[in-house]
Amino acid sequence: MKKKVLLMGASGSGKTSMRSLIFSNNPASLTSRLGATIDVEQNHVRFLGDLILNLWDCGGQDSFMDSYLSTQRSTIFQHVWVLIYVFEVGARDAAKDAEYYRDCLDALQKYSPDAAVFLLVHKMDLVVGEKSAVLERRTRELQAESGSVAVTVFGTSIYDETLYKAWSHIVHTIIPNAAVLSKHLTTFARACSATEAILFERTTFLVIATSSSPDGPDGFDLSAARYERTSELIKALKHSCTRMREEFHALEMELPEFTAVLDGMTKNTYVLLIVHDPTIETAALKINIRLARPKFEELQSDSVLA
Amino acid sequence: MATATATKSNGPPPTSFDNLQRTKILLLGQRGSGKTSIQQVLFNDVPPKQTFYLEPTSRAVKHRYDTVIPLEIWDCPGNTSPDTLGASLADFSSIIFVIDIQDSYQQPVARMLDFFAAAYQENPGATLEVFVHKAESLAEDYKIENFRHIQQRVIDELFDASPEYEQMPVNFHLTSVYDHSIREAFSRVLHKLIDSLPYLEDLLNVFCSNSQASKAFLFDVKSRLYVATDESPVDTGMHNLCCDYVRTLSAFGPLYMSASVNADSRSFYPSAAVSLAQGTTLTYHLITPQLALLAMLHPGVFEERRGLLEYNVVFFREGVQEIALVERDARSGNL
Ligand SMILES: Nc1nc2c(ncn2[C@@H]2O[C@H](COP(=O)(O)OP(=O)(O)OP(=O)(O)O)[C@@H](O)[C@H]2O)c(=O)[nH]1
Ligand SMILES: Nc1nc2c(ncn2[C@@H]2O[C@H](COP(=O)(O)OP(=O)(O)O)[C@@H](O)[C@H]2O)c(=O)[nH]1
Ligand SMILES: [Mg+2]
Repeated sequence: MKKKVLLMGASGSGKTSMRSLIFSNNPASLTSRLGATIDVEQNHVRFLGDLILNLWDCGGQDSFMDSYLSTQRSTIFQHVWVLIYVFEVGARDAAKDAEYYRDCLDALQKYSPDAAVFLLVHKMDLVVGEKSAVLERRTRELQAESGSVAVTVFGTSIYDETLYKAWSHIVHTIIPNAAVLSKHLTTFARACSATEAILFERTTFLVIATSSSPDGPDGFDLSAARYERTSELIKALKHSCTRMREEFHALEMELPEFTAVLDGMTKNTYVLLIVHDPTIETAALKINIRLARPKFEELQSDSVLA
Repeated sequence: MATATATKSNGPPPTSFDNLQRTKILLLGQRGSGKTSIQQVLFNDVPPKQTFYLEPTSRAVKHRYDTVIPLEIWDCPGNTSPDTLGASLADFSSIIFVIDIQDSYQQPVARMLDFFAAAYQENPGATLEVFVHKAESLAEDYKIENFRHIQQRVIDELFDASPEYEQMPVNFHLTSVYDHSIREAFSRVLHKLIDSLPYLEDLLNVFCSNSQASKAFLFDVKSRLYVATDESPVDTGMHNLCCDYVRTLSAFGPLYMSASVNADSRSFYPSAAVSLAQGTTLTYHLITPQLALLAMLHPGVFEERRGLLEYNVVFFREGVQEIALVERDARSGNL
C-alpha cells in the first residue's frame, strides 16, 4: 500500500535536511552541503513492510512553487494522505511564506480534502530566549492562517529530538491499526515484567507503538521526551556504526535503576524493553523477544493490510 | 550524566583529590583560536555548536577535573605572555598551544615559540603540544597541507632561534570540537602525564588476552577521554564509535530512570553490550565511579563465556582501584 506524503515549504526551510536525517541516516552536520532541491524529488520509503511512504520533497524556490500551484496543480495535490508544510522560524519573508501556504491549502482542499495537515516550525535551535513562547505565538498565527482546516503544529530542529517527536506522530497517523499493535505490546510488556515496551521502525527509528502513555506507566515518573530522545540516541549510534562499515544489531544495558534490551522484533521493527525489576535478567528478555517474533510478524502484516 | 550520578553511591567512596597536588595543563593560543571551546566541550559537556556563544576569556581561569589523576587546566586569554601568566612555567606538566588552522600563522607561531623556549629553559620535562584546531572547517587535502605547513614552520623557526631547540619535543595534533579528534588528541596528551600508565596498560593487555578481546580502552566516562588502552593500535573509527557509545549510555540512563522508584544501587556496577552485525560485541563495564572499560569481544565469548568475562572484569577492577590508591597516596605525600 502506497501513501503519498507532500513535503513543502520555502526554499532553505530545511525539508531535504530532515528527510536525509530521518530516512537516510545522515548526520545533521552534513546537511549544510545539500543543494537546493530542483522541482520535486520523489522517494519511496518502505515502512513496515507493505506500507510504502511516497515522499514528495517539493523544492521551495518561487518558480517551482508557482508551477506547483498552476500547471502541476492536480499532479501535486491529488491523492495526498499527508501534507507537511515547513516554516523556518526566523524566515525573512513570512508574509510570502503565508501566502504560498494558503494557496497550497486551497489546492489541497480541492484535490485531497481528507489529507491530514502538519505544520513544522523549523530551526527552533536558532531561537534565542524563550522557545516555548515563540512556538506558541507561531502556532496561533498558523492556526489563524489555516482557517477552517484542522492542523497540527510542531516545533522542530534537526539538532535535537524534536524532529523525531514530530515525525513519529506523523507516521503514526498513517499506520493502520496502530492501536492493535499497542495493545499487543502491552500484553508482551506484562509477560516480560517490563515497565514498558516500545516498537521502532527499523531504518528511521521512528516510534510506531508503545505499551504505555507518554506520561509513563502507573507508579513511574518517566521523562515525557524519552521516546523521541531514544530515537535520536539510537540513530546517532547506528550512524557511528555505519561510519565504521559496521551495522548496529542489538543493545543491552544493566543500569542501577533499570535493565533494557533493544533488539530486532520483526523484519521492519525493533523493540525496546525497559525493566525496573532487578531480578529479571537480560538473557530472559532476549528469549522472550525471540519467542514473540512470529506473533508480531503476523500482527504487523495484518495491521498493514487492514 | 546518568552513570556519574547513578554511581555516586557505588563501590568504594569516590576518591577525593581535594588538597592533593594537581597536574597542571596550560591552554594557550590567540584570541578566538578555540581554547575555551575545547575546555568546555571536553570537561563541561557543552555541545560543540553551543561554543559559538562563548564569551571571550579576559583572565586565566583554572578548571579542576578529576580522573585517574587530578587535573587543573588553565584557560588563558589570547594576550597572555610568560610574564603575565601569574605562575611559573615550571608548575605546568603540559603546555598546549591552540592554532586556528585558517588563521595567519605568523603571530601565533611567534608567541608559541616564546612560551616553548621559556618552558624549555625552566622545565625541560614539560610536554609541549600544538593543536592545529578547527580542522573540520577545511577539506581533507587542504587540511593536511596546512597541517604540514604549520608543523614545518614551527620546526624551522625553532631551529633558527637556537640549534639547541632542535631537541625540543613538540607534538602536533589536528583537532576539532565538532568530531572526536579533540578527544583523541587530548587523550594522548593526558597519557604522558599519568605516571601509572604502564600499570594500567598491563592490566588492559592481560584483560585482552584472557578475554580474547581484540581491543580495550579505559575511558573517563564524563569527558570521554581514554586514559589508557592495550598495546594494539588505535583505529580512529573504533575510537569514535567508543566515544559515541559512552555518550549514548550516559544519555540513556536518565530517560527511563523513575523518580518514584528507588533502586538500591550500592555495589552495583552498570554494564552494557552492543552487538554489531559483523561479529563483534562492544562491551561496557563501569570500573570506578569515573572510569569504564570498553572492549571489543568475539560474540561467542560474550554469549557463552559470560562467567569468565565477569571474572576478568572484577580482576581488572581490583587492579585499577589499587593503582588509584597508590596514585592518591603518592600525591598526598604518604609515599
Ligand atoms: N540551524 C538549523 N539549520 C537547519 C535546520 N534544518 C536545516 N538547516 C539548514 O538549512 C539549510 C537548508 O536546508 P535544505 O534542507 O536544503 O532546505 P530545503 O527546504 O530542502 O530547500 P529547497 O530544497 O530549496 O526547497 C541547510 O544549510 C541546513 O543545514 C535546523 O533545524 N536548524
Ligand atoms: N569550526 C570550528 N569552530 C570552532 C572550533 N572550536 C571552537 N570554534 C569556534 O571558535 C570561536 C572562538 O572560540 P573560543 O573558545 O571562545 O576561543 P578562545 O578565545 O581561544 O577561548 C567560537 O565561535 C567557537 O565556536 C572547531 O573545532 N571548529
Ligand atoms: Mg530541498
